[in-house]
Amino acid sequence: MSLALREMRRAKARFGLLIAAIALLVFLILTQQAIQDGLVTSFVGAIRQQTAPVLVYSTDGQRTFQGSVIPPPLQEQILSAEGIGASGGIGQGTFTVSVSGRAGTEDAVLIGAEDPALGGVGRVDEGRLPAAEGEAVGSAADFAVGDRVRIVPVGVPGGEGPEIEVVGLAEDAQLQVTPTLFTTWETFEGAARAANPDAEAVLPNVIGLAPAEGVSADELVEAVNAVSDDADALTRAEAADETPGVAQVQQSFRVIFLLYGLVVPLVTGLFFLIVVFQKSAALTLLRAVGVEAATLVRSLLVQVLLVVGGGLLVGTALYFPLSQMEVGSIALRFDVAAVAVWSALLLGLGLISALVAARRVLAIDPIEATTGGGAR
Amino acid sequence: MRLALRELRRRPNRFAVATVILTLIALLLMFLGGLLDGLEAGSTGALRRQPADALVFADGAEGSLVRSRLSSEVRDAVAEVVGDDRVGGLGSVQLGARLDGREPRDLVPVVLFGYELAPDGLPEGGPAAGEVYADTSLEAEGVEQGTVLRLGPARSKVRVVGFIDDARYSGQASLWGSIDTWRAVLGDNRPSARVGEGTVQALVVRDDAGRGGAELVEALDAAGDGATESFTVDGAIDALPGLAQQRTTFGQIIGVTVVIAIVVVALFFALLTVERTGLYGVLKALGAGSGSLFAGVLLQAVVVTAVASAVGIAASLLLDAVIPAGSLPFTVTPARLVSSVAALLVAAIAGVAFSLRRVLRVDPASAIGGAQ
Repeated sequence: MSLALREMRRAKARFGLLIAAIALLVFLILTQQAIQDGLVTSFVGAIRQQTAPVLVYSTDGQRTFQGSVIPPPLQEQILSAEGIGASGGIGQGTFTVSVSGRAGTEDAVLIGAEDPALGGVGRVDEGRLPAAEGEAVGSAADFAVGDRVRIVPVGVPGGEGPEIEVVGLAEDAQLQVTPTLFTTWETFEGAARAANPDAEAVLPNVIGLAPAEGVSADELVEAVNAVSDDADALTRAEAADETPGVAQVQQSFRVIFLLYGLVVPLVTGLFFLIVVFQKSAALTLLRAVGVEAATLVRSLLVQVLLVVGGGLLVGTALYFPLSQMEVGSIALRFDVAAVAVWSALLLGLGLISALVAARRVLAIDPIEATTGGGAR
Repeated sequence: MRLALRELRRRPNRFAVATVILTLIALLLMFLGGLLDGLEAGSTGALRRQPADALVFADGAEGSLVRSRLSSEVRDAVAEVVGDDRVGGLGSVQLGARLDGREPRDLVPVVLFGYELAPDGLPEGGPAAGEVYADTSLEAEGVEQGTVLRLGPARSKVRVVGFIDDARYSGQASLWGSIDTWRAVLGDNRPSARVGEGTVQALVVRDDAGRGGAELVEALDAAGDGATESFTVDGAIDALPGLAQQRTTFGQIIGVTVVIAIVVVALFFALLTVERTGLYGVLKALGAGSGSLFAGVLLQAVVVTAVASAVGIAASLLLDAVIPAGSLPFTVTPARLVSSVAALLVAAIAGVAFSLRRVLRVDPASAIGGAQ
């Protein structure tokens, strides 16, 4: 143990450089993990937060709120399915809005539910749920309680949109990485008509369903999908996970993580292999004077643990301040579980990568100290 | 230098692990860059195809086609600046397309564009009603000339009469038809988004007067009298939501990865140099200069990086070939490969520079003084 520490003290630059390399890799891995989680949450947070256990899209909607439209005949077919306890239409649209106290205009998604228990927001982290027309719960990253949001009808000369008051806030409630407001159907309909006076009708984009007593969400999904090929029912979790783009984001990051995950043990393994190679004369001498091979291997593994552990600590310390920030409108978060999983994984891989160096230590023949072979 | 190359040839195993690590880093750089390029290409192709000096959107639409509406009055005002035949309407709608022979739920996501001024790659004079040109990425879905696609819940039929390359939008393949086709399909499938006669989402503007981007944009917005927000094509691309953030984030990740490459090269060659201190002492005692010894180390770093880059390029091309169309937005471009290799070479040179001091410090006397 003292041998390992003494060597590290004497070759600070060498070990410092390795710790710096691992720290940078850990920092990158954790940062990208946070970006991935933040991105997915910003994409589909509103779907996870809404109250309907089952969402029914039109097949044409390709599992997106904005792409789906439920015309009355399809709605009738959906509601004819067995096992429905309650139902309500949900409308969604992206609007240009102006927010009180802020200059200029910005984008906002409006989600209007006929029944707040089927498409409204499940919980508020601040303020209260909407109680009347013209009230909304906003995504906490973008709004404050008391904000007054006015719909700006784009390209409608002299048009004036309704005003919405933010009465509550919900964390992780964005849709499509856009500020999001959960409101009543009437408020949504008013906004849609103001934004497009040519609109023939404002139809729900999705139908929210609750299963009848004794029916599970999965059974209800199956029943709805059986009544029409034009209806695409999904449970809440499926609707979030199968939103187009989510799987692509996760797949892309998986490849990136795999590559970074391979680089860490390879760098560690290479370093210790070279170090053992360089020290072979000294290690042979130590073996010749009676030091057990196990002691030398233990010393090597201690160094691996300290170097990878040091890299993890520094990398996590670099990641912490970054995880408190926002990348555009994506809120990052310090994820303890991600730190723990990556730490365990990289420590394990680091130790495995040092096995080649350990094998070389175990192969040292003390007799070579007398022949000069250890110096080769 | 010859010595350095001979060492590489005779003891390749010594450099193998470093080469593998650098190959992984090269692949990372190329993969990250390819993802960025793929995402951008998939989001911006339709705009890049516009033969425009400017694109005009409704004020407040923030460059979003879906939210922009321009009336015929606004169009007339814009036409006064550049001439009526230099202005064309543009509209879009995202729908699911049904193809014959597929399962009822197996739809292809598409964006139907209606246009008046032909995008680059399409013949002048738009297609007839109900006919469209398709983005070539739809060929992977089995779409060919003559294929009939049924769009949206109304199953609006459009027939493919030709193809256009690199014209994706919002990550989806595009179809290009006349403005009337677009208006009819939009009205049939999206009652809440229906637009009146003469209304379009944006205007494509060509200018024969040779005005620069900013000057033309200013003139158009002045004519629009507050109802319009005009962009150059590049400006409209930059205004797409999230594109600038995407570029910045990927740029930073790529930057840190290059720093890691520098550290890896520095670490590896610092260790090799330590190992060779005795040898360098002997060579110096025999008259070799520090410069030529360092040049040898540098050459080895460049060769290792070149090999890693070559393998990285091959792996990237392989990935590009095997990734199924539509699964990952990954695109390999020569510019990205060249810039990644250049970044790695710079990293290798910067990394190996850390060994320079150690090479310079080697004392030839150690070769005869038994300092080892």
